[in-house]
Amino acid sequence: MTSQTTPQRNTAVESTGPTSTDRFSMAWFRDQLIRHAMVVVMLLIIAYFSYRSARFSTPDNLQTIAVAAAPFALIALGQTLVILTGGIDLSVGSIIALSAMSAAATVKGHPERLWLCVLVAMVVGLAAGSINGFLVAKVNVPPFIATLGMLTTASGLAYVIGHGAPINGLPTDFGKIANNQILGLQIPVVVMIVGIIAFALMMTRTSYGMRIYAVGGNPVAAQIAGVKTGRVLFSVYALSGLLAGLSGVMLASRVISGPPNLGEGYELDAIAAVVIGGASLLGGRGSVWGTALGLLLIQTLNNGLDILVVPAYWQSVIKGVLIVAAVAVDVWSARRRV
Amino acid sequence: MAGVLFECRDLTKAFGGVPVLKGISLAMDAGTVTALAGENGAGKSTMMKIASGQLRADRGEVLIEGQPLAHGDAHAAHRQGVAIVPQELASIMEMKVYENLFIGRELRSRAGILDRRAMVRRAAEQLAVFGVDIDPQAPMRSLSVGLRQLVEIAKSSSGGARVLMLDEPTSAISDREVERLYAVVDTLRKQGVAMLYTTHKMEEIRAIADRIVVLRDGGLVMDQPLTKVRDDDIVQAMIGRELEDLFPEVRPPGDEVGLEVAGLQVEGYGAPVDLTVRKGEIVGLAGLVGAGRTELLEAVFGVRRSSAGTVRVAGRAVRRNAPADSITRGMALVPEDRKGAGAVLTMNVLDNGSLPRLSSFTLGGWLRQRARGRVVKDAMSSVRLRSRGLGQSVGTLSGGNQQKVVLARWLTGHVDVLLLDEPTRGVDVGARSEIYRIITDLAASGMAVVMASSDMPEVLSLSHRAFVMRGGALVAELDRRQLSAPDVQETVFRLAAGLDSSRSPGAGADLVPTTSSPTEKDAR
Ligand SMILES: Nc1ncnc2c1ncn2[C@@H]1O[C@H](COP(=O)(O)OP(=O)(O)OP(=O)(O)O)[C@@H](O)[C@H]1O
Ligand SMILES: [Mg+2]
Repeated sequence: MTSQTTPQRNTAVESTGPTSTDRFSMAWFRDQLIRHAMVVVMLLIIAYFSYRSARFSTPDNLQTIAVAAAPFALIALGQTLVILTGGIDLSVGSIIALSAMSAAATVKGHPERLWLCVLVAMVVGLAAGSINGFLVAKVNVPPFIATLGMLTTASGLAYVIGHGAPINGLPTDFGKIANNQILGLQIPVVVMIVGIIAFALMMTRTSYGMRIYAVGGNPVAAQIAGVKTGRVLFSVYALSGLLAGLSGVMLASRVISGPPNLGEGYELDAIAAVVIGGASLLGGRGSVWGTALGLLLIQTLNNGLDILVVPAYWQSVIKGVLIVAAVAVDVWSARRRV
Repeated sequence: MAGVLFECRDLTKAFGGVPVLKGISLAMDAGTVTALAGENGAGKSTMMKIASGQLRADRGEVLIEGQPLAHGDAHAAHRQGVAIVPQELASIMEMKVYENLFIGRELRSRAGILDRRAMVRRAAEQLAVFGVDIDPQAPMRSLSVGLRQLVEIAKSSSGGARVLMLDEPTSAISDREVERLYAVVDTLRKQGVAMLYTTHKMEEIRAIADRIVVLRDGGLVMDQPLTKVRDDDIVQAMIGRELEDLFPEVRPPGDEVGLEVAGLQVEGYGAPVDLTVRKGEIVGLAGLVGAGRTELLEAVFGVRRSSAGTVRVAGRAVRRNAPADSITRGMALVPEDRKGAGAVLTMNVLDNGSLPRLSSFTLGGWLRQRARGRVVKDAMSSVRLRSRGLGQSVGTLSGGNQQKVVLARWLTGHVDVLLLDEPTRGVDVGARSEIYRIITDLAASGMAVVMASSDMPEVLSLSHRAFVMRGGALVAELDRRQLSAPDVQETVFRLAAGLDSSRSPGAGADLVPTTSSPTEKDAR
């Protein structure tokens, strides 16, 4: 029984994918359910809240969710890039505080030039992020340590700017940044939507996005393929800082003041959103759409639990359990897919 | 010691709807070695993974001495005496060699505390069997792929396994170490261990196996005692057609200089290296594991630091230590460790294929999807890649197909200097002859090719010239005539091992005797 006739080989690259499950059959349906487990979890949560409260699915409430999500969305986008390279950015919460304080101080000095405070916040964020990037990419400090240092430093500086107290008494015009509307949507919501779409395109359609995936997936291989890994690493931290700066000025504008503890702990929600979205903390795996979904899940949960007047400490417990459960379901479904 | 020790019945497995194993049945007696052959992607590793409990079969069962193996349970398999040396190594880089050897079955003193001293001693004994000089206290990371492979083999073979799966154990080690492996396999055979042994090399099958089993496209197409079949039968069973000559004819090189390396001082190595390769010329680098071939190639390309010297491609200087510049100047490197340095396993074929020349596929930073898809597809078809499409992630390709991706991704653009480090490691015969054809074609089209390889026939048959390396230096040069001398293998081995200093004056690590090599005398 040496060799029989040559069976059909799938030699070529173009050979097609799985064909075993017919479309719209029971098996196909089950397959889709497993494949998109996270979306299913999301829909279940939405269904539950809608069932429990008539207010939940009103347009007004959707707007509330979106407004609350916007500042998180920006830092979660930055965090996605950082995590894709296999790093982590713990400092975004503090950078929010630092840039918010810088913006508030600027508005106080130059109340007539609103754009200036936005610019200052972004520059401050970019500077802080660049320091992170420099430490990680050039000095080879582990990301966890570098950004932990920045977390403490930036938070300290935020208090320094306000001499240990919030900056109050800002012109009401400062509130325009967060509350003015474009096409019926508040500016932060527009920034969030544009940001998500832009980053999703960037990660899938540009060479920069591909380099980020490559550096996270295998830095040595990326280097041999000519990717300047140091530059890529530097840029993601810088970008993450910049986005935190933008997030900071929007948050400050919403409350028309500069509280030095603004953004405290936000980095954890951002990281959670990225991980729920299917990213691997080892780098190389994850997506902007995933992060958006993760973000939506967390924000929906926050909002829904508020509406149902669940006490804050119970919210925290429920959120924690649900985050882990969501990721566990996702890991399980990924395994089933093989 | 006879009797069926290991049996699998009707193993069936599909990945994402694509069948990979189509009902494989196989039985192995105690104290026998069965060679498992087949093309890249035929399903060999998949079968071994199922047999060792790492993967779950869709249908069918595995029996160890008649006892069914718990499905997809690696621990249970281990308890039942099944061990595997995986194709893609799973060493723990951050740990020491002896820690790797004893992980999971650490030695403890009576007080329950880790007995490191005893582990180091036992580790040294186990490694001594292979006759290589590995310090049990060295960090795993510091070892070359070849040495890591040996440590893995020592680990699996010393744990009291009765069924041992060896998935391409020799793909990363040199001939001398292969001999040692044979000795170890023989010892295990005498102890009654049943072994399944995957390799792409015919000499190995002949040297070590009692029986040959061939998989093709997930089906079992041959199961014969080795004495009953000819090599050609085996090859034909594997690729489903007859194979023409393995090595293509090598065409004469051109006259212009393609690559010029002068006084390149690789960091961590003693002597500076000079090397000139003409356009169209294939220069082989032979040597033992650890001779510095990989390091030299990496330094020429710029991914390993060099502290002095110049590298010129077609007369133009290349910035040292700047791989991106090397690529722009027309250099390409196919690294030895495809998993660690070659491909980004988390990305798909398309993305891996476009990575080295990203900027040529972009317009203002935006990827030109259509052009990219077309060019990468062409490059991948030119090496006959077997994948489910450009969207398949490289991590799920079979080992040999990963290697094809790592080579073919350079072919999307112009290359003047091709640096190949073990280009056919783990590649099946059919694909190998394909890759040889590609290499000679590329050379004939004007590329200067430098090829480091532990596969002697490959160096001897493809190179216009070859250098033997030892301790980071080129210690001897062999021309085409010397390479075809009957006892050239012996000569190269002696030079590589440094046994020849008496016969070859000045063959020390710091001198580069060129044609004064002993083969002059030995050639007819
Ligand atoms: N996790 C996975 N997901 C999807 N496809 C897979 C996965 N693992 C293996 N495959 C596919 O299964 C087929 C068989 O792979 P396998 O690794 O068993 O081949 P092999 O015979 O060991 O080849 P090689 O000689 O190259 O090592 C390949 O086509 C491969 O792409
Ligand atoms: Mg394999």
